Amino acid sequence: MNGNGDRPGPAGWAARGAVLAAVAALVLAVPAFRGNVEVHVFTQAAIYAVIGLSLNVLLGYTGQISLGHQAFVGIGAFTAAYMVSRQGQPFVAGIVMAMVVGGLQALVLGAVSLRVTGLYFALVTLAYGTMAEESLFNIQSLTGGSAGQPAPKPAWFSTDLRYYYLCLAFLAAVIWIDWRLMRTKGGRALLAVRENPKVAATNGVDVKVYTLMAFVVAGVFAGLGGALLAHNDTFVVRDLFDFQLALVFVIMTVVGGLRNRTGVVLGSAFFSLVGYFFDKLFKGGLAVPGLKVLPKEYVPIVIGPVLLLYTLTRHPGGVGEQIRPLQRWLRGGRFTFRDTSESEVRVSDVRA
Amino acid sequence: MSAHLLAQAVVIGVITGAGYGLVALGLVLVHKSSGVFNFAQGEFGTVAVYTLYRLHDRIGVPLLPAMVVGLAASMAMALATERLVVRRLFDAPRVTLLVATAGVALLAISLELWLGEARLRFIQPALGRLDRLSLFGVQVSDQRILILGVLAVLAVLLGLFFSRTNRGLAILAVSQEPVATELMGISVRRLSSFIWGLAGLLAGIAGMLAAGDARSFGPGFMTFNTLIPGFTAAVLGGMNSLPGALVGGVVVGVAQSLAVSSSAFKAIPGPGSVMVFVLLVAVLTVRPQGLLGKA
Repeated sequence: MNGNGDRPGPAGWAARGAVLAAVAALVLAVPAFRGNVEVHVFTQAAIYAVIGLSLNVLLGYTGQISLGHQAFVGIGAFTAAYMVSRQGQPFVAGIVMAMVVGGLQALVLGAVSLRVTGLYFALVTLAYGTMAEESLFNIQSLTGGSAGQPAPKPAWFSTDLRYYYLCLAFLAAVIWIDWRLMRTKGGRALLAVRENPKVAATNGVDVKVYTLMAFVVAGVFAGLGGALLAHNDTFVVRDLFDFQLALVFVIMTVVGGLRNRTGVVLGSAFFSLVGYFFDKLFKGGLAVPGLKVLPKEYVPIVIGPVLLLYTLTRHPGGVGEQIRPLQRWLRGGRFTFRDTSESEVRVSDVRA
Repeated sequence: MSAHLLAQAVVIGVITGAGYGLVALGLVLVHKSSGVFNFAQGEFGTVAVYTLYRLHDRIGVPLLPAMVVGLAASMAMALATERLVVRRLFDAPRVTLLVATAGVALLAISLELWLGEARLRFIQPALGRLDRLSLFGVQVSDQRILILGVLAVLAVLLGLFFSRTNRGLAILAVSQEPVATELMGISVRRLSSFIWGLAGLLAGIAGMLAAGDARSFGPGFMTFNTLIPGFTAAVLGGMNSLPGALVGGVVVGVAQSLAVSSSAFKAIPGPGSVMVFVLLVAVLTVRPQGLLGKA
C-alpha cells in the first residue's frame, strides 16, 4: 500500500480509528434508536448488499451479466417460505435450503447456457427471469400463487432490531467468504479469465469450470439474500420479483463499483434506502410543478438509470473508485487522489 | 389436440409472430450495423403508443397526424439514445452497451409509471371490424390484417432498400467492414444515426399495431410483451438476417401459441414464457448460427 515507508503516527492512527468507530456506530448503534419501520428499511439495505455482492461475483469477477437475478433471489425467498410455512421446518433449515436451491438452479442454468457467453448469455438470463416470474412463481402448491406465502421471523430474532443484527452478521459472513474465495486458486483463476480468457485458457485455466463455479457461488448468495428478504417482509409475493427489480440489482452493483466490496455494499444500500429517505425528505413525494407526485417505490427506477448511464459514460469505477483514496487512507496510506497501486476499473471491465 | 384447435393455434401464432418479427427487424438492423443488443427497442415503441394516446384519445388530434407525431417521438428517442449513450460508449465492450440500453428502457418505463400511472389504458383499434375474416374459427380483425399487411410492405421496402439504394448497400458494407467503408468516404457515424432512427420508426409502428390489437397498454407494454420473443426471433434468424428475423418471429409466435393452447402444458402456469425460454436456449446451444444461417 505504502511505498515510502512513512507510516502514520499515533495521531494518524487515532484519526483512522475514530472514522472507523463512527462508521461502526452508524451501522450498529443508530438503528437501535430508530422505529421499527426504519429498522425494517435498514435490514433491507443489508440484504440488498448481500444480493449486490452476489451479482458482483458474476459481473465483477467473470464479466458475465445476469438480467434474471430477480429469479435467483425470488427462488431463495420462496424456498425459505415454503420450508418454514409448508414443511414446518425451522428458520435455519429454510436458509440452508434456499442457499442449496439457489446454487443448484444456478448450476443447472449455467451448465445449459454457459456455452454461450456475453450478449447471448445476458439474453438467456433475461428470458429465465421472465419465465420464473410468469411460470415458476405462479405454481400454487410451491409459492401460494397470487396470495403469496408467509415467512415469519425466527423466534430468537422476532423483533425488527434483532433481525437487523442477524442480517448484518450474514452480510459480514458473505463479505468474508467472498474475500477468502477470491484469495483461492479459483479466485485468482477467475481474475485471470476476466483479464484475458484466451491467455488464461492457454495457461491451463479451465475457463468454463471456473465461470460455472462463480455462477454457483452467485446463486448461493442470491438464495441467501432471497431467504433473508422473505423473513424481513414476513411474507413473499411474486409481484415483488419483476424485471425492474432485476435491473435495479444490476444498476446498484455497477454504480457501486465492480470488484470493490465496499462500493457494492454502499451502492446496494443506497438503492435500498433511497425510496424511503426520498419520501421523508419530500413529505409524501416530490411534487414537481406540472408533473405528478413521484411515489417512493418508483424513486430507485427513476434515478437508477440516470446514475447508471452517468457511471458508465463518466466514472466506470462507480462509487468504489471514488472512495478508494479513503480506503487507502484507512489502511494507513496517504490520502491522495493519485492512484498509486491498485488498477482502476475501466469501462471495458463489463464485458463478454 | 384436435386438428381444428391446432389450426386455430397456428393462425393466432402467425399473427402474434408477425408482431414479434417487426420488433426483431429493428433488433437485427441495429445489431447488424453496430453489434449492439438494443434492449430499449421495445420501449421506443411504447413511447410512440403513449404519444399517440395522449394526442388522439385525450386531446382529440385526428388519428393520422397523431400517428405521425407518435412515430416521430419513437424516432427521436432512438436518435437520442444513439447520440447520448451509444456513441459515447462506442469503444466499450458490447455487454456494457447492453446494460446501457437496458438502463434506457428502465428509464422510459419508470417515467411512464410516474407520469402515466401504473394502470392499463384502453384504446380502440385503428380499424373497426373485429370479424373481417374467419379462419378455422379464429376471428381475424381488420387490425390483424393490417399487421400482416404492414409487415409484408415493410419487408418488401426493406428488401428493396438494402439491395437497390446506395445507403442500404452502405449499411451492409459497414456491417461487414467498418474500416474499409470509412476509407471509401462513407460516414459510419451518420449511418449509425440513420439506422437507429429507422429502428425507432419500426419500433413505433410495431407498438401502435400491437396496442391496437391488444386494445390496451400500460407502462413497459412493448418491453414486457415483445422484447424477449423479439430477441428470440432475431436469434432464430441468426441475429444478422432480416428475412430470418421475420421467419423467426412467426416461429416464436406459433410455438408460443401452441404451448398456450396445448393440453400438455395445462399443468404449467405461463406456458408461453416457458416455451420462449426453451426455444431460445435450444437455438443457442444447438444451432447458434440461426435457422437460416450456414454452419
